[in-house]
Amino acid sequence: MSQAANDIMDEADESRANEPLVLAVPKGRILKELRPVLDSVGIEPEAAFDDPNSRALRFATNRPEVEIVRVRSFDVATFVAFGAAHLGVAGNDVLMEFDYPEIYAPVDLGIGYCRLAVAEPESLSAGDDPSRWSHIRIATKYPNITRRHFARRGVQAECIKLNGAMELAPNMGLCRRIVDLVSTGGTLKANGLVEIETLAEVTSRLIVNRTALKTRPEQMGQWIERFAEASRAA
Amino acid sequence: MNVDAAKSLLPDGLRDLLPPEAEHEAWAVAALVGRFRQEGYQRVDPPLVEFEDGLLAGPGAGTAPHTFRLMDPVSQRMMGLRADITVQVARIAVSRLTRQPRPLRLCYAGPTLRVRGTQLRPERQVTQAGCEIIGSRSAAADAEAIALAANALDTIGVPDLSVDIALPTLAPRLVDGLGLAAADRVAARDALDRRDAAAVRALGGEAARLLGAILDASGRAGPALAALQAIDGLPDDGRAEIARLADVLPRLAEAAPGLAVTVDAVERRGFEYQTGLSFTLFAKGVRGELGRGGRYLAGAENGGAGEPATGFTLYMDSVMRGARAATAEPRCFLPAELAAEAGPRLRAAGWVTLAGLDPVGDARGEARRLKCTHFIDPAVGAGSDPLPVD
Repeated sequence: MSQAANDIMDEADESRANEPLVLAVPKGRILKELRPVLDSVGIEPEAAFDDPNSRALRFATNRPEVEIVRVRSFDVATFVAFGAAHLGVAGNDVLMEFDYPEIYAPVDLGIGYCRLAVAEPESLSAGDDPSRWSHIRIATKYPNITRRHFARRGVQAECIKLNGAMELAPNMGLCRRIVDLVSTGGTLKANGLVEIETLAEVTSRLIVNRTALKTRPEQMGQWIERFAEASRAA
Repeated sequence: MNVDAAKSLLPDGLRDLLPPEAEHEAWAVAALVGRFRQEGYQRVDPPLVEFEDGLLAGPGAGTAPHTFRLMDPVSQRMMGLRADITVQVARIAVSRLTRQPRPLRLCYAGPTLRVRGTQLRPERQVTQAGCEIIGSRSAAADAEAIALAANALDTIGVPDLSVDIALPTLAPRLVDGLGLAAADRVAARDALDRRDAAAVRALGGEAARLLGAILDASGRAGPALAALQAIDGLPDDGRAEIARLADVLPRLAEAAPGLAVTVDAVERRGFEYQTGLSFTLFAKGVRGELGRGGRYLAGAENGGAGEPATGFTLYMDSVMRGARAATAEPRCFLPAELAAEAGPRLRAAGWVTLAGLDPVGDARGEARRLKCTHFIDPAVGAGSDPLPVD
């Protein structure tokens, strides 16, 4: 990290001590499922949060002590790990990919169900014998999980990091297999791919920053309890 | 200069400390060690590099993946560059200082190097300062270590300190005692690491009850201790750990009043080589941990039982993020013609003086150019008081 970045972080450190709690939420699919959870824990974001034309990234809520930031799902974990956000909502796919020791994931919110799976073209899968693999090439957004998973089976996985449209890769000749999130399997099917193995079942978790939990135990504990209740009720 | 700019690039995680930060960190280290010495901790200074087999033995095994190694051309043996000083101090205590009376209190401060930083603390060179108390099993030693760490940090102005006490041997012993299948043990450990109460419940049976109970017993020390003491069916060694906690907490409240204390009975990351009550220091709003410490056995690797010991290490990179900000010290410019005469008097009065080497016409302008806050006006004379530049 550059000196300047460090200085900025350090300044932020100083001014952060008594600031409101920041909740980082992911954009997109999960956010829709998260709204009822926010309702039941009693967090109501300001109107701009639901306005598709709003360019704001940081939102006030009905609670003066809680703010919301909306970022990409991978960035939720980064914000929380660094303490820039105190609470966040992230899938365990993201948590497994980064494996930050500074993050606790105390509540499974039971939303955003999907799975992380290996897929390959239908034509390939017919004659494929995974037990003979020693090296495979895989397009994925999750190079760490993928490498770890195959290393355990003694297979070297060469990962091509893509940020989206993984399903294109096999048909375009980039590589033959992909590791990606699958919810209904519709996209795979439409692209002539079949799932051959599940790496992990994925749901969204409430995540919390370790330092925040240790230095503001009552406040953080209360929110964890509220989210836990909401997920039990759902 | 520009031609060589690329040469000033330092390897990842290493940095030049410049004025005033270099001075400020040195001041903080001196203040911390000064505080340690006030409670009778005597300073030791082990070398930067030593033979790998000594450095990485016993409690040092945990630092093996973080240690830079180099071959000693003289002895042809592998050496390690210390990633942690505690191991060295423990080695000194059980080798050269065996005839010193116990408990032996030692302190240290110095640089360490690690192979890679973490995302939160990217520094690879970290100055550590710490204390070890060797040869006592007493709960008073545990309380003294925690209180001394907190009080020392207080002297350099770290605000809103908080200590999180862990019992790192409790959860693993419970998991061992439950006779879980291998897959369930991994699941239990992962669930505890994530603090995932639902996953702990999913283990079912006695595992869910016991592990769930110690997981719930986290937070402010008072309620957490009460919750831990209320758990039925703990094995004897687990019970002993909780009794130790109950013994330490009131002592700590007395020795470090105002310190926020939390308990986390399932924390174990980074405590793999700790043998009992351990702790981590945080400050509100400062990212990462300021230091950690806890129980270990000194010298157990030499065969024999080893000596019970506890202590703590402060990481100056994090500590400086929380310490009082550096204040610009007043500096007084002395024009060349009167430097020899005025200097001794002003320095004796506590001034930092900056002597001009060549005569200049405008003393005030020169003082400003050299970033001094004050100057002596030659028109008024060498015996005059420093005048502010602005």
